[in-house]
Amino acid sequence: MNTAVATSVFGVFMVGTVVLGLLAVKGRGGQGGLAEWSVGGRSLGPVFIWVLMAGEGYTSFSYLGAAGWGYNFGAPVLYVVAYMSCGYAVGYVVGPLLWEYARRHGLVSISDMVAHRFGRPWLGAGIAVLVTVFLLPYIQLQITGMGVVVSTISYGAISLNWAYFIGFAVTTGFVVVSGLRGSAWVSVLKDVLVIGTLAFLAVYVPLHYFDGYGDFLDRVVSEKRDWLTLPGHGGSPYGEAWFATTSFLNALTVVIFPTTVAGYLGARDADALRRNAIWLPAYNVLLFVPMLLGLAALFVVPGLTGAGSNLALFELVVDSLPAWAVGVIGVAAALSSIVPMAVFMLVIGTMWGSSVLSLLPRWRSPARQKLASQGVVVAAGALALVLTYATPNTLVRLSLISYEGMAQLVPMLLLGLVWRRLTLAGAVSGLVVGVAVVCGLVFTDRDPVWGMNAGIVALGVNLAVALVVSGVGPGDRDPRPDGEVLARDPAGTEEEGGAVSGAGPEAGRR
Amino acid sequence: MIIRRRPHLLWLLVPFVLYLGALPFANRVEPVVLGLPFLFVWLLAATLLTPVAVWLTYRGDRKRREGRV
Repeated sequence: MNTAVATSVFGVFMVGTVVLGLLAVKGRGGQGGLAEWSVGGRSLGPVFIWVLMAGEGYTSFSYLGAAGWGYNFGAPVLYVVAYMSCGYAVGYVVGPLLWEYARRHGLVSISDMVAHRFGRPWLGAGIAVLVTVFLLPYIQLQITGMGVVVSTISYGAISLNWAYFIGFAVTTGFVVVSGLRGSAWVSVLKDVLVIGTLAFLAVYVPLHYFDGYGDFLDRVVSEKRDWLTLPGHGGSPYGEAWFATTSFLNALTVVIFPTTVAGYLGARDADALRRNAIWLPAYNVLLFVPMLLGLAALFVVPGLTGAGSNLALFELVVDSLPAWAVGVIGVAAALSSIVPMAVFMLVIGTMWGSSVLSLLPRWRSPARQKLASQGVVVAAGALALVLTYATPNTLVRLSLISYEGMAQLVPMLLLGLVWRRLTLAGAVSGLVVGVAVVCGLVFTDRDPVWGMNAGIVALGVNLAVALVVSGVGPGDRDPRPDGEVLARDPAGTEEEGGAVSGAGPEAGRR
Repeated sequence: MIIRRRPHLLWLLVPFVLYLGALPFANRVEPVVLGLPFLFVWLLAATLLTPVAVWLTYRGDRKRREGRV
């Protein structure tokens, strides 16, 4: 009975998700080409951008990993709140910068931007391949996260393998057709469910299992003190230095993370992004909830270990709520996998269509670029799915370097866009050395290193190499003027009275 | 130089100071505020103050724009 109710609720919402995603592009069929699909025709208003970006940030990690970390270690998990808030603040400046650059030159992805900045199409292709390697593990994390949730909330009726496939099928079902706009629409449903269910759980769990909040918090403070400060419980290596360096590194990385950039580029104007930067940090209040519920689970279901601790939150849900409510909360968690997965796949497709396959003359026409991108979306999702079945540990291992590896793109992209003297040789050698240092430290189990995030050490080396090579190496002989190559903050250029001038959107490309 | 033209961008450093700079001071259980351990109270406050800081930046940019017109 329980199984039937929860599974039906889940099934209805999954069908609804695909329909909603497809409705997003009703009446826009076929027009607009790659930019319409990849970045929503650069036409999304402040509300959609807010919903979409909040949707990307709040992934299946928030339900599983955050509660699991809260259960295992406690306070260190709050680094997620810290880096997202700091990152949104950095995004106030970086978002409009990237948006204006991409619009002026008709670009749709970070690989595109790098290719334009350095005037080398092959560099864009290389970055697209590298970023794909970093993103595939994230797709798998969402697939497995969703699998665990779906299997749990169906009381075991849906097997893990089927649950993985459902995640892939639902996501592919709408994103191939409707792209970023579809993801934004599905995000609306997701946000309503996530905010509603987490707010409910934050009130319900302390009342159900404890004598209200006072009792719950008193017991946490008196019995679980270890969990309440850094470095947290159980000999965790995540102390203050780790917290600060990780939050700082991730705050810089999140603004160039390809999925965040897709959100930036989808905006109608730069002001929508600035307003967003004000309101997005408020969403982070929700991240405290899974962490608190992880602490509550310590009392209710003690003794979870390993992957089991990731289910800390769902153990409480299944234990204390009727089947239909379990189904609804499961849908919220599943959508928290689906929305980010959709944007990850979309970004990979976009980068391959605009920067890799476009190197081949026959794939260069706009219609073909879009078709190629859509094909890559399916291929990337299918690859992640197959790897999940075949060699699950490969991508898990790769995921360890994903974020810190992505961080190594910061000098090439951010510094490159504002500083002309960063040369191609400098940017590339910095990136190569940075990624090598990340791999070296992470794969020898030296992360954290000296109490700090390994990625920030790598970024320091990366930046030093980039500056030295740019300084002593040969300069680039690029005849284009600064205005063509560098980014300008729209707020800065308004002052000089020169509205965005010169090249039209598609001019100067390649 | 961008800071000289838009000094209000310095407001964006507020979340970094609150979340990262203040850690050595905020990383403690006592004093407990409304039942919550101090580190949580601090980070929650930082989460609520970050939108304020970004809004102050936005207000600065808006004033500058209006002053120009």
